[in-house]
Amino acid sequence: MTRKAVPNWLPQFCSAPTLFAVMLVAELVALVIVLAPEAQPQPWLRRLGVASVYVQWLALLCAVVLCSLRQVFERLPARSGFILAWVLSVSITAIASALICRVDQALGLGLSVPPAASLRFVLDNAAICALISAALLRYLFVLEQWRERVNAISKAQVDALQARIRPHFLFNSMNTIASLIRTRPAEAERTVEDLSDLFRAALGADDGHGSLGEELDLIDHYLRIERLRLGERLRIETRLDDLPRDFALPRLLLQPLIENAVYHGIQPRADGGTIELGGRRLGAGVEIRVRNPLPTDAPVRRNGIALANIRARIEYHFGVTAALEIEPGPDHYTAIVRLPGVMLK
Amino acid sequence: MKVLVVDDEPLARERLAALLAEIDGIEFVGEAANGREMLEATSRDRPDVILLDIRMPVMDGLEAARHLDTLENSPGVIFCTAYEDHALAAFEANAVDYLVKPVRRERLGAALAKARRWSGTQARVLEQAVEPGRRRTHLCARVRGSLVLVPVGDIDYLLAEDKYVVVHHAKGEVLIEEPLKSLEDEFEGRFVRIHRNCLVALEKLAGLTRTPDGRLFANVEGVGATLEVSRRNLPALRKLVRTL
Repeated sequence: MTRKAVPNWLPQFCSAPTLFAVMLVAELVALVIVLAPEAQPQPWLRRLGVASVYVQWLALLCAVVLCSLRQVFERLPARSGFILAWVLSVSITAIASALICRVDQALGLGLSVPPAASLRFVLDNAAICALISAALLRYLFVLEQWRERVNAISKAQVDALQARIRPHFLFNSMNTIASLIRTRPAEAERTVEDLSDLFRAALGADDGHGSLGEELDLIDHYLRIERLRLGERLRIETRLDDLPRDFALPRLLLQPLIENAVYHGIQPRADGGTIELGGRRLGAGVEIRVRNPLPTDAPVRRNGIALANIRARIEYHFGVTAALEIEPGPDHYTAIVRLPGVMLK
Repeated sequence: MKVLVVDDEPLARERLAALLAEIDGIEFVGEAANGREMLEATSRDRPDVILLDIRMPVMDGLEAARHLDTLENSPGVIFCTAYEDHALAAFEANAVDYLVKPVRRERLGAALAKARRWSGTQARVLEQAVEPGRRRTHLCARVRGSLVLVPVGDIDYLLAEDKYVVVHHAKGEVLIEEPLKSLEDEFEGRFVRIHRNCLVALEKLAGLTRTPDGRLFANVEGVGATLEVSRRNLPALRKLVRTL
C-alpha cells in the first residue's frame, strides 16, 4: 500500500467545530440510550442527565486522546490509522466504563449498575462505542477522500487555465535572437533576458502571484521582443500613470490580452498599428484597457478560447465582481479588465 | 540559383539573407514582406526558388504559393514556419519542402538542393489540409506576362464567358481560368448567383429592377451595368434580398 504524503483524514479533534460535532453526536447517543426501554423505569430527565454527562465525558476523552496522538496518525497509512483510532476509542470506553462502575459502586451513588452487572455494563458500552466510532470514523474517512478528490479536480482546472505563451512566440523570438546575434549582440543579449523573464513567469516558478508593477514590467519585456520582430509595424501608446504598482494579482493575467492584440490586431495588418494600453484606479481596484486596430479584411476571430481562459482566471482569483469586457468596434477592438481591490485566491 | 526571401519580419529576412550568403552558388535576388509583394517580385526578378513564410499579412504564404501557378515556369517553393503543429504533418504528407525557424544552415542548403517545382494543384491540396474551408483573399490573373491580383473585397461581380470568368472589380476587369461553380463554392456567402453565368458580390448588390417587358435586372453598386436575373435564381435571390 502506498503511503500518502499527508494522510490527515482525521480532522483536528482539538478544534472547536470538531469538538462541537463530537459533543453533538455524543448527545444523540445519550438520547438514544435514554429512549431505549429499560427494566426499572426511572424519571427520563434524570436518566438523560446521567447518560449525557457520562457519554459526553467519554466522547471528549476519546477526542482529546485522538487529538494528542495526531502526529502518530500522520505517520501511519490511512488503514492502520483507522484501525488504531477505532481500537483506541473502544479501549478508552471500556476502561473508563470499568473505572466509573468501580467509583460509583464505591461511593454508593447508584448511578450506574449494581456490582453483579459490572462486566455486562462494560461490554455493552464498549460495543456501543465500537459501532458508533466505526461509523463515525468511516464517515470522516470517506469525507476526506471526497474532499481530496474535489481539491484535485479544481487544482487541475486552475492548472489548465494557467497562462500559456503561444509556442509561436517562443520560436519567433528564437529566430529573432538568432538574427540579432550576428549583427547586434547586445540586443540579442537583452532579448534573451526578456524572454527568460517571460518564461519564468509562464512556467510558474513560484506560487504564481505577483504585483501589477511586475505584470506591467513583463508586458514591457514582451512588447520589446515583439517590437524587434515586427519593427515599425508595432507601435505602443501607454497611459498608466497613477496605477498602484503593488496591487496583487496572479502573474500573466494581463499579458495574454496584449498578446492577443499583437497577434490578432497588429500582425495581420501590412502597415501594423498602435496598441493603446491604458489603466486607472477604480476605488480600491484597477481598470486596464487594451485597444487594438482590426485587420482591414477581418477574418474570423478565433481567440474565443483565449478570452474564455482569461475570464475564468479572473473570476477564479477575484470572484464575480471582477470583469473582462469586450468592446468590438468596426475597426477597433477593446478589452477592458476590472479588478476589485482584493484577490481571493 | 536565384533565391527570393519572403517574410513579414525584417529580422527573419535579414537572417535568411545572411545564411544564403554563406552557401555557394546561391544568388539572393530580393525580398518581400507578404504574399502580394512576393508575387510582384517573382514576376520581376524571376527567382528559381522562394523561401516563403506562412503567416503574413495581406496574403499568407499558402495562398501566395497557390497563385504562383498562374505564372509560367513557376519557381520552387520552400516553406518556412515558426510553429505549425498540425501544418507540419500536412507538409510532410504532401512531400513539400519546409523549414522550421530558426532555420539551420545545413537544412537550408539541403532544401535548396532539392527545391521542387511547384504546382497549383499541390498547393490547393496543401491549403485544404492545413486549414480546411479556407478562402483566398485575392484572385490572380495573368495579364501580358505579369500578374494582376484582385482583392476579393474589391470584386463587384463575376461573369462567365466561354471557358473564362471575367472578374469585374473596382479598378477594371481581368480574365481568370476558373469555373464559376468552384468560385461560388469557395466564397459561399460572399457572392450570390443571379444567373447561370453570373455571381454578384452580396454587399455590392443595390437592388432589383423590373423592365416593362417583365425581365428582372440586378443593380450593382457603383457600376452602371445591369445584370439580368434568371427565373431559376429569382426565388433564392428574393429571399436573400429580404433578409439583408
